[in-house]
Amino acid sequence: MSERRTISYSPFARIEGDLRIELDIVEQVVESARAAGTLYRGFEQLLRGRDACDGMVLTPRICGQCSLSHSAAAAAALHSLAPEEIPPNAYLTRNVAMGIELVISGITHFYMSFAPDLLAASPDDPDLLRFGVPGGSSFRASMIARRKMLPLLGILAGKWPNSLFLQPGGSTRSLDSSEISRSLGLLLELADFFESQVLGDSLGSWLALKREADLLAWLDAAAHASSDLGVFAAAALRRGLDRIGRWQASFISSGGWSTAAKGHWLEPGFHDGARHPLELDKIEECIAHSWFDAQDDCLHPSRGRTQPEAGRAEAYSWSKAPRYGSRPAEAGSLARMICDGDPLISDVLAKRGASVYTRMLARLHEMVRVVHQLGHWLRRIDPDEPFYRPIELPDSGEGAGIVEAPRGTLGHWIRIAQGKIRDYQIIPPTTWNCSPRDAADLPGPVEQALRDTPVADADKPLGVSHVVKSFDPCMYCTVH
Amino acid sequence: MQAVGCGGETQSLLNADQPDLLSSLRILDIDWLWHRYLQECCGDPAGLLERCASGELELDVLVVEGAVSTGSQAGLVDRSLERPLGEWIERLAAVAGYAVAVGTCASFGGVLASGRNPSGVTGLQFDGARPGGLLGAAYRSQHGLPVINVPGCPAHPDWMVGTLFALISDGLALRDLDRYHRPRVFYSKLAHHGCPRNEYYEFGSSAEEFSQQGCLFENLGCKGTQCESDCNERLWMGRTGSCPRGGFPCLSCTSPHFPDGFAPFFETQKIGDIPTSLPLDVPKAWYVGINGLSKLACPERLRRNAVSFKRVGPGAGGQSSEEGDERAPDDLL
Repeated sequence: MSERRTISYSPFARIEGDLRIELDIVEQVVESARAAGTLYRGFEQLLRGRDACDGMVLTPRICGQCSLSHSAAAAAALHSLAPEEIPPNAYLTRNVAMGIELVISGITHFYMSFAPDLLAASPDDPDLLRFGVPGGSSFRASMIARRKMLPLLGILAGKWPNSLFLQPGGSTRSLDSSEISRSLGLLLELADFFESQVLGDSLGSWLALKREADLLAWLDAAAHASSDLGVFAAAALRRGLDRIGRWQASFISSGGWSTAAKGHWLEPGFHDGARHPLELDKIEECIAHSWFDAQDDCLHPSRGRTQPEAGRAEAYSWSKAPRYGSRPAEAGSLARMICDGDPLISDVLAKRGASVYTRMLARLHEMVRVVHQLGHWLRRIDPDEPFYRPIELPDSGEGAGIVEAPRGTLGHWIRIAQGKIRDYQIIPPTTWNCSPRDAADLPGPVEQALRDTPVADADKPLGVSHVVKSFDPCMYCTVH
Repeated sequence: MQAVGCGGETQSLLNADQPDLLSSLRILDIDWLWHRYLQECCGDPAGLLERCASGELELDVLVVEGAVSTGSQAGLVDRSLERPLGEWIERLAAVAGYAVAVGTCASFGGVLASGRNPSGVTGLQFDGARPGGLLGAAYRSQHGLPVINVPGCPAHPDWMVGTLFALISDGLALRDLDRYHRPRVFYSKLAHHGCPRNEYYEFGSSAEEFSQQGCLFENLGCKGTQCESDCNERLWMGRTGSCPRGGFPCLSCTSPHFPDGFAPFFETQKIGDIPTSLPLDVPKAWYVGINGLSKLACPERLRRNAVSFKRVGPGAGGQSSEEGDERAPDDLL
């Protein structure tokens, strides 16, 4: 009989917010895992009864890192209550700002949260010294890149976190031609970082890679192998990160970055080996293992309830468990790339599964795609056309705003009556990813992905850390 | 310590620029004992906090972001450590040289304490504008100061770095703090100062809807004339932006009354044409008189542009104010 022991890590280091990871370990391998949100803040409760538009101010404060995404979802939810279309410039400026938020988030995650663990795992590997915090050359370069993005975002959003420039009627900030040219120049400075530091190659050459074989050949070139992505890929494959963090993944993506009322830059979908159209009706949130009062176990968010019940037996998380057609689903860059049918990432997924390596590669790849796309959106902004159109909100109604936050699909569902919020339900991406078990005892994606992870040293479970961080959890969002 | 918050102060600190964060840390010359986001995997956070609380590790400065749950909810809404966060913060504050609350939640309760305050939180030494909070009005740190509040939603990176620098160089005394224990050096101006819309403000020339260039005070809920901060002079995001520069109203997020005291957020409460909340130290009668006069004196250029999303000239049939007057050329937009 092998010994089984249970270890927990709380708060899990170097991720956003309060995550407890509890592991049952048998023979130095994770047998089962529980991911728990340990903080409750009650945004859904404190929104009830407030003015219809108050979510615009309060929901961005859910998360210090993706406040613009909450802002966009809140604005879209209100916009969905009104018939008026908003101007093309409104979509374009929103995409630019959300794209920068995605890149800031992705860079910060890779260089501050994920990559330092590669060095911690092989402290004597001279190639990996670049990822040391705070002294590593790549880490320092990433901090400079982050600084370069601030003015690019600042011109549009005024400040960040917690800009309010995205409104139901569009953008509060109109740009003139000089601000567009200035933004394009700043964007080039950001692209330089990706080309010289991340890729060792041009964005265009990277984006020409369509299969894993192309990628492996690309990695052979010296300039590519010595880039941050090259060093990451080599270290990840050497450490077997393509064999941990895997699960029988289903993916959810709302596509996102539309440039008009209809049409997406990335295709939305639900993917379980094959892509299906995304049907929002199939989303439910379950609370069998969450600290909430359970009259109904699973509810569509438009009928959702949030009534804390801190002492509930069987519960272990302040996170609800979102399900799509009763199944857990992974949200994030990998999900977006798979639902969009991105050839490179789809091929890597087919070869390596939904592993730590695949997930991280998808995030880096998506950032390159976004940086490349930002210029197109910026150039399409027409400074002579409006950025905003006032919209008339009805007194009563219900609507939803679904956007792609850096970490994945983010939904806000709102019901208003007599100009006040009756109900407000939010499902952020990490609620999908760090979901606890549901009534059928089906674990969430991170919980499933942690299974079979080796834990040689319980004081320094770097494999576990790689798996958890590959999802880039944001527990602030999760436990809104 | 990150309590009941959103991590926004940490993100804002990472936005430090001119100087950047790494240089700022060098100026401060500090050893980080613990920060959950900057900590390596996986450690023993409770053990480390215990060593600080017991005095084994000297704690010069305790910095908290996020509000703190007290009373019956403590330890239920925050379960990341085995004991409630409020208990840890009380013990650490008792031994700390200085205690600093960064962000409006840690300072006053802020967004997390708004409405029905579902997680039962308060600020470290204030509950809204009322002294008290978690530590009580009488609390003084080892160096004899109350909790130093660095509010803002989020706080500007300069405010955080500058406050720490003042503390570490013994440059902060009670007289340097205002009535809400905010360092005067950052909070004794108005967000209004330096606003690029000030010319519109002076002539009562106001935007009627978002994206227009006029002043946001009269119609769109801007509280910049009441907000004690230096946002529009200091500027955010690599010194490029501020709330009104982004086209949306200042909501006075450095105030202990934020957010509920400033609702409705996007419209200006008025009696007749007069906003109910006037610029902080302008007498009402004077405001009404001067505002009426300045509206009469408003140049056509401002009247036109206040309600336009882009700069517009007089267009066809437009005339300069006085024929042949070179002081008001047609091409001034």
